[in-house]
Amino acid sequence: MIETVSILSKLATMPAVPSADVLHAVDLSWAGFILWMPLISLVLCGLCAAFKVKTKAPAVITIICLATSFVLTLFLWNSYTQPETIHLFDWLQIHWEEGSFVANFALYVDSLTLLWMLFVTGLGTLIAVYASEYMEHDVGKGYTRFFAGVSVFLFAMTCLVMGDNLLVLYLGWEGVGFASYWLIGYFYQKPSAVAAAKKAFIVNRIGDVGLALAIYLIWTTFGTVQYDEITTVLQSHSYDTTFGGWTVHAIPYLLMLAAFGKSAQLPLYVWLPDAMEGPTPVSALIHAATMVTAGIYLIIRTYPLFMLDEYALPTVAWVGGLTAFFAATIGMAQYDIKRIMAYSTVSQLGYMFLGLGVVTSYGAAYHVFTHAFFKAVLFLTCGAIMHGFAGQLDLRRLSGLRKMKGWKIVSYTMLVGCLCLAGFPFTSGYFSKDAILAEAFVTQGPGFQFLGWLAIFTAGLTAYYTFRVWFRVCAGPVYFEPGDELHGEDPANFHPHAPRFAINFVLVAIALGALLAALPYFMPNETEHLHGGWIAEMVNDSPASAGVPGNNSVAHAPLVEAHGTIEHNIPHGDILGMDPHKAMYYISGVVGFIGIGIALFLHLFFRSSADTLRSKLLANRATRWLPTAMENKWYVDEVYIALIRSPLWILGKFFSLFDKYIIDGALVNGVASLPRASARWFAPLHNGSLQSYAISMVGGAVLVVLLMLFMPEIVSLLKSMNSQAQNIEQVVRTVGGAQ
Amino acid sequence: MADRLWFLIPELIVLAGAVMCALAGLSTTAGIRRNVGFIACAFLALACISVPFVYTPERIATADSLLPHIGKYIKFFAALLGILLVMSAGGLMDRKYEHAIAKGKATFSALRTSGGEFHALMLLSIAGVMLICEARDLIWLFLALELVSLPTYVMVAISRWSKVAQEAAMKYFFLGAVSAALMLYGFALLYLATGTFVFTEMVDVFAMQRAEGGIAVVGQTGLLLAIFGLCYKIAAAPMHLYAPDVYQGASAAVTAFLAFIPKTAGMLAIILLCTLVGWEEGLPPVIEMALWVVAVLTMLLGNIGALLQTSTQRMLGYSSIAHSGYMLIGIIAGPPLGIVAVLVYLVIYGATNTSAFATLACLSRDGETVDSLEDISGLHKRSPLAATSLAVSCGSLLGIPPLFGFWGKLLLFAAGIAAGQLMLVLVAAVASAISAWYYLRLIGLSVLSSTTPRSDTVRVALRWPFVAAILSAIIALAGPLVLTNIVADAEQAVSETE
Repeated sequence: MIETVSILSKLATMPAVPSADVLHAVDLSWAGFILWMPLISLVLCGLCAAFKVKTKAPAVITIICLATSFVLTLFLWNSYTQPETIHLFDWLQIHWEEGSFVANFALYVDSLTLLWMLFVTGLGTLIAVYASEYMEHDVGKGYTRFFAGVSVFLFAMTCLVMGDNLLVLYLGWEGVGFASYWLIGYFYQKPSAVAAAKKAFIVNRIGDVGLALAIYLIWTTFGTVQYDEITTVLQSHSYDTTFGGWTVHAIPYLLMLAAFGKSAQLPLYVWLPDAMEGPTPVSALIHAATMVTAGIYLIIRTYPLFMLDEYALPTVAWVGGLTAFFAATIGMAQYDIKRIMAYSTVSQLGYMFLGLGVVTSYGAAYHVFTHAFFKAVLFLTCGAIMHGFAGQLDLRRLSGLRKMKGWKIVSYTMLVGCLCLAGFPFTSGYFSKDAILAEAFVTQGPGFQFLGWLAIFTAGLTAYYTFRVWFRVCAGPVYFEPGDELHGEDPANFHPHAPRFAINFVLVAIALGALLAALPYFMPNETEHLHGGWIAEMVNDSPASAGVPGNNSVAHAPLVEAHGTIEHNIPHGDILGMDPHKAMYYISGVVGFIGIGIALFLHLFFRSSADTLRSKLLANRATRWLPTAMENKWYVDEVYIALIRSPLWILGKFFSLFDKYIIDGALVNGVASLPRASARWFAPLHNGSLQSYAISMVGGAVLVVLLMLFMPEIVSLLKSMNSQAQNIEQVVRTVGGAQ
Repeated sequence: MADRLWFLIPELIVLAGAVMCALAGLSTTAGIRRNVGFIACAFLALACISVPFVYTPERIATADSLLPHIGKYIKFFAALLGILLVMSAGGLMDRKYEHAIAKGKATFSALRTSGGEFHALMLLSIAGVMLICEARDLIWLFLALELVSLPTYVMVAISRWSKVAQEAAMKYFFLGAVSAALMLYGFALLYLATGTFVFTEMVDVFAMQRAEGGIAVVGQTGLLLAIFGLCYKIAAAPMHLYAPDVYQGASAAVTAFLAFIPKTAGMLAIILLCTLVGWEEGLPPVIEMALWVVAVLTMLLGNIGALLQTSTQRMLGYSSIAHSGYMLIGIIAGPPLGIVAVLVYLVIYGATNTSAFATLACLSRDGETVDSLEDISGLHKRSPLAATSLAVSCGSLLGIPPLFGFWGKLLLFAAGIAAGQLMLVLVAAVASAISAWYYLRLIGLSVLSSTTPRSDTVRVALRWPFVAAILSAIIALAGPLVLTNIVADAEQAVSETE
């Protein structure tokens, strides 16, 4: 049944000579430590908590462990030649005659995994360094809890990205959800933080149901949950869209539900803005750079499955495009800079889904990569400001930061982040966003042209709200009001605490990363026919190679051609009669400049005009709704409460009463009283008397033996009784018939 | 013969340990006397380590016993869990007497101590289980079974200085004698049917009888009586009546021992006897029917009986009866799945049950033993670890996934369904559902309830039982990680040839 080396035989015999496969796997087995280091860090943090450590030791431990993980990832990347499975240990292996369910704890390393792991562990390390200073007011209180949470998160995220099957991914998926809950609710004495943590968890559950069902259907359809085997099954059926019946059409939508929940897309995005209640390093790491890109990772990993349904990828594109636009409009009207960044994250994630939908997994992955850096730096600068101004995040109450002593690094690294986010020419965000925007015009699909224009317009909005923040907060005359987290300081005599070395170092490092993230676009790749540099090469080994420009000749070509609606790269689409890839450089550049220009006008040169515009819009009866609705986030939360929560509450109340009086009252207690009643009947059997025990024992045995000995007689007796009864019946019948 | 002696090395080590314990217990040096438990543990560990070296593939190939591999599995785990059982009894014997000697209120007298004997008896009983694996004939089997049982009678009697324990020991002894008589009568009938005591020859005779149209009625009667006699060892209906009284009367550590060691011995002997008549064409219908009835009665009577108990030990005693019923499903299902499931379940049950009893053993209310349900109410306030280990072990006994007990039940039920015994498995599922009532009550009382005036003085008093409880709770939690290894070992244990 199961081939395992038993503990006994391990002791008894010398180790058997490993087979060739095993020898090969041993080469990379150290890669398991990428996974184990965060776990070790968690255990050590747990020990710190147990021994009530009152120093910064947990931070040091976490930083060292995560840095080791990062270095190992670099080594793995360096030694990478082809996709490989690294077996860590047997996990679930159930075999029966017709099939099997195998989910080993194994790592699947291809270049896509490496791409993700590079920024997950790299940024994880840097953000842990940042947090070591940021969280120092909590040393001895929540400090250990915080770093334990970060370790849990990194472990779960590593499982999610590196697992070789969907079950390990699921483990990681739930794990990051749990870590996110843990860290959003870090300030558990604040009711809003607790509410936000619950909201994030519950909304994510909706998506997780999708993932669980999808994994189940994938297993029933393909007989496996391992990525490489799913691909093999698909290839052996030459991507037949009728294979497996309705399930192959249901799978992509369920996976989508999961991805939209985790990556905060319409209609499940509502948890992400509230998640900003957590400490800022958490927002930067989990809710901007890494965890929220898990949905994109999931879809890239299972890309071939999305090709099996005609409308799956267009749905992804539409949801992504609309979310990008919708979230950007909300972001324009917020005053809390961290919330603006949160809505911006939702919007940028929308771009990535748009990229996936218009079949450029390359563009999506590249945008994930660049976004991880520039959004992390934006969040971390917001955190530094919040840290320095006692929790102040309102852009109306902060101004001229770049002219203040000690705030130059924060201001200019924030500028770098803003430039990338706004898609300023020749920054990393510019190239990655263009790869998606252009592809919307290249790929033929339902309404993709419209989505392309909408995304270009959104790019303008993005440039506007990004620089609204920067011009308001960092430029202009020096002015500030402290927030309400004063820790006993006098508000009238408040001095901002400028960040020290750790925070500044991390800001500069990540800002540099954000700038350098433009380089992969130009880095030559080794595969000749691919466009798009290093990132394209990294995505090309993965199941989503169909979405890499220049890769229309390999394995996935028949699949793409078979598609009625999505015809990728053939023939080349156009935008206003030009080649989209070239035209987009100019169009998005111009749109970005317009956005920045408007922000410059409204929020630096004529600051009062923004308020004038707002009051004018509010004064006019016809336009009043616009700023009101935007500031109130289009009332989505209220609509959800009215449409979903209230009916559920009423239903819940009804079920609760039904449960109390019908189920519990009549059924459960009724049935439950049976065993208890019978227990009372049986109780006299145990009267404690030796003699009666002995008689029962022997009597029971003798009874059975007698029964057995006279079995033939009893059987014949029963038979004769039966036949007699039949005879009597027959007699009665005949008598009855005669009458 | 020399080969046979080779396989007895683990037993010999344990026997040597028994002698050492008996001697050390009489030492005038208090330091040696009080640490008899360590000696017992050391010899058990030695036996445990020796097992893989004794059972090398070359040696097993020369063995002439019925199930040549089974010894490796049983001896290893009997010794391993034996260590936990000895630990649960740590500090139990002579506690007040040693205290008095230390204070100078009493002087040492060899007649008044029993710690050494107690540990020696424990080791003897464990050696009995090991010897069953090496049985080649009925006489050996009977002697080994009695070696398991006889020490336990004494252990029950001397474990507590109370009349309840004496009464329990008396009942246990007399009813044990009745059951041994039944079993022996069965063995005699088996001899009558086959004309031999030697297992391998008996297998041939039964196979011949089968070929000629069925096993002789004398043989079937003998097997039936022998199984009924063994039902006493595993506490299965109708021979279960003693269990609640005895389990309640003995001290918790001894009860843990009673619930594991004799049960393992009985199950092993039933497997051996059923192997005699052969599983290939199914057990004779009469035997199967009898086992079926016994299994159903045991599961239902055990679980229903536990519902209204107010004594924790009595409740767990009934629970122990019910678990024998579950294991009989595996016997009815037959090899390989059913027997593998039984062997795995024995280990799982042994570990988790020890955890539950060890937790009870380590608690004390003003120097009194803890026995009523009320005593453990609000335990988490005073000892979170003890409450957790009780909760984990009860959860595992109930079979809550992903605890160890769940996987054991899963294997048993799966084997039952694979053998076509759907009805039996349904009964077992209902019985399990009934058992949730009292297991959850134990969990709820210890983890959720608040302290009552009576339970306010309950504390963790004994160190080693506490350690045993924690260790076995960890096994119940982390066991599923090595489940595949244990299953592989059990599969190897029932395989007939290399």
